[in-house]
Amino acid sequence: MIYAIMYGLTVGAILYLISVGFSLTFGTMRVINFAHTLTYTIGAYLLVASLRQVGIPFLWGGVVGVGVAALVGYCIERFVIRRLYGESLDYTFIATFAVFLIGVDIIKWIWGVYPKPISDPIGRAAEFFGFVFPVYRILVIVLAILVFFGLEFFIRKTMVGKIIVAALDNKEGVRCLGIGVEKYFTIAFVLGSALAALGGVLYAPITAVHPYMGSHILLLCFAVVLTGGLGNLRGTFLASFFLGMLISITGRFWPAGSEIVAFIAMALVLLLRPIEA
Amino acid sequence: MRKESRYMRDVLKKQETMLGVSVTARKSFVEAMGGQRVLELVLIAVVFLVLVPFLGAHRVTDFAIFCIFALSFDLLYGYMGRLSFGHLLYLGVGAYTVGLSLRYVTTNPLLAIVLGVVAASLAGMAVGAVTVRVSGAAFALSNLAFNRVGWFLVMSPLKEITGGENGLSIRNLSFWLVNFRNPNFRFWFVLVALLGVFLFLRVLTASPYGVLLRSIKEDERRVRFLGYNTYFYKWITFVVAASIAGFAGALTALNYGYVNPNTLDVHANAGVVFACLIGGSGRLYGALLGGILYMLITNLLPIYFQRWEFVLGVALLLIVFRFRGGIWGGLEALRKSIVLRYNASSSKKGVSQ
Repeated sequence: MIYAIMYGLTVGAILYLISVGFSLTFGTMRVINFAHTLTYTIGAYLLVASLRQVGIPFLWGGVVGVGVAALVGYCIERFVIRRLYGESLDYTFIATFAVFLIGVDIIKWIWGVYPKPISDPIGRAAEFFGFVFPVYRILVIVLAILVFFGLEFFIRKTMVGKIIVAALDNKEGVRCLGIGVEKYFTIAFVLGSALAALGGVLYAPITAVHPYMGSHILLLCFAVVLTGGLGNLRGTFLASFFLGMLISITGRFWPAGSEIVAFIAMALVLLLRPIEA
Repeated sequence: MRKESRYMRDVLKKQETMLGVSVTARKSFVEAMGGQRVLELVLIAVVFLVLVPFLGAHRVTDFAIFCIFALSFDLLYGYMGRLSFGHLLYLGVGAYTVGLSLRYVTTNPLLAIVLGVVAASLAGMAVGAVTVRVSGAAFALSNLAFNRVGWFLVMSPLKEITGGENGLSIRNLSFWLVNFRNPNFRFWFVLVALLGVFLFLRVLTASPYGVLLRSIKEDERRVRFLGYNTYFYKWITFVVAASIAGFAGALTALNYGYVNPNTLDVHANAGVVFACLIGGSGRLYGALLGGILYMLITNLLPIYFQRWEFVLGVALLLIVFRFRGGIWGGLEALRKSIVLRYNASSSKKGVSQ
């Protein structure tokens, strides 16, 4: 049971890292970014490539992955999403889905379709009260919590963060103050992409890296964002850990159900509190 | 006073005559529409028959089934403006219900089709009750989530009866005069089914209900202000679309004599969205045209070019950025401009004379 809770916390941490960017972009720009988890996939793949083909240590591989994914995120924002602000949600959805298709196909072109497993970079395990936990997973959880507090600080204390939150609430109002909202949207978008890539990098040693890894996690992210509330960053934090625990504990008692329990939770939330978005 | 009443009477009389005119006009209009509909159906049938010598009957049967599916999606997306990324769920439910019922319940394929449609509409009722409450991207993605749940159910917990990854082969394909082993019978059956679905949707979208759907697409809040319970109408439309998709799924199962989990594959949803967009969404002809084109692309392109997903993505981007109306929309705009130019030139002639 302790192990299940530990696994749940790890999954929750990863989910948080990925879905916070999703929540930010959805909240600020009203854009459902299907390509969001593309940056997650790219981060993981670049990590694998830099570990295997270049042979640099895990940390630097992770940095490369996050950096390049942030760049890709910027390109997606600049060339696709920026043209679609204020348009119907469907079109942005379809356009980002098209980007997702293109990206996945390019990944398949470069790296092939077969899953690439990579090993735990730390490999040591710590012992608490007779239970053995891999240090790496503890690190992941700690990192997610650090990111949460970092984001809280960024949003409540810095000017950029305050503008993003204000734009989340009322875009027109912020624009009336003479602030170029688009620039801050770009920052939020790149930040979200980088965090998603960080999630991909961290999750890669726990699961296998394959081209379609993004599409499954996207659904979970979506469940998280809907359960936590659109654009509500604290809600996203709580919801991701809640769903992570739910998945892991269900998986312990009913392994088959772990894949769908998050969606059932999402459906319940939607039934109780419909969202107009 | 008297003057006023006379005036009122005049107005009433005028209205009566106008009403009378409008009634007769409407009658002839309906008759014309009836004739037009028959013409339309004949045209569609001719198009599919023309395709047969080039592609072979089995492939055209595939095309027609996909067109039925695209039409059902167009009702949801094109007419009601709700983009669902989980429409394949109902195709899968229809297909699996036919497979399982022919295995365990009945030996009559027609009854199995009915069961498949019923099962798909039940699934649509259940899922629609949840997803219709949200709109936009939340609608699209929650449907995607349910589609994923269905796929997962087939692959893992229900593996014993659905066959999991191996799929399900169908027994009892022939019964009395109905023989789904015969490719020609399949072709004609599917073609008639397509025409039936087309006619049904034509009538449905031309009715006041269809107008209501389009107004929900334009502005749902206003429709709600007018006193309509939009949730109910959206739900009904969702169920109708799901039933037609289930019908397409049933036909798919009978056509291949085999059901595989790919009928539920989440990623394949992009295909039907693409088909609707490339043909022109919100137009039944657009869905038909898009369905045929999409099937042509996916059937013929991979032979020459391996990276067809890439091409699909680029084409989708192009449609979103440049050609919102799709091919049929482009044709309509072209026709409109030609008619306008013709009218302009003829009216100029009138002036000069």
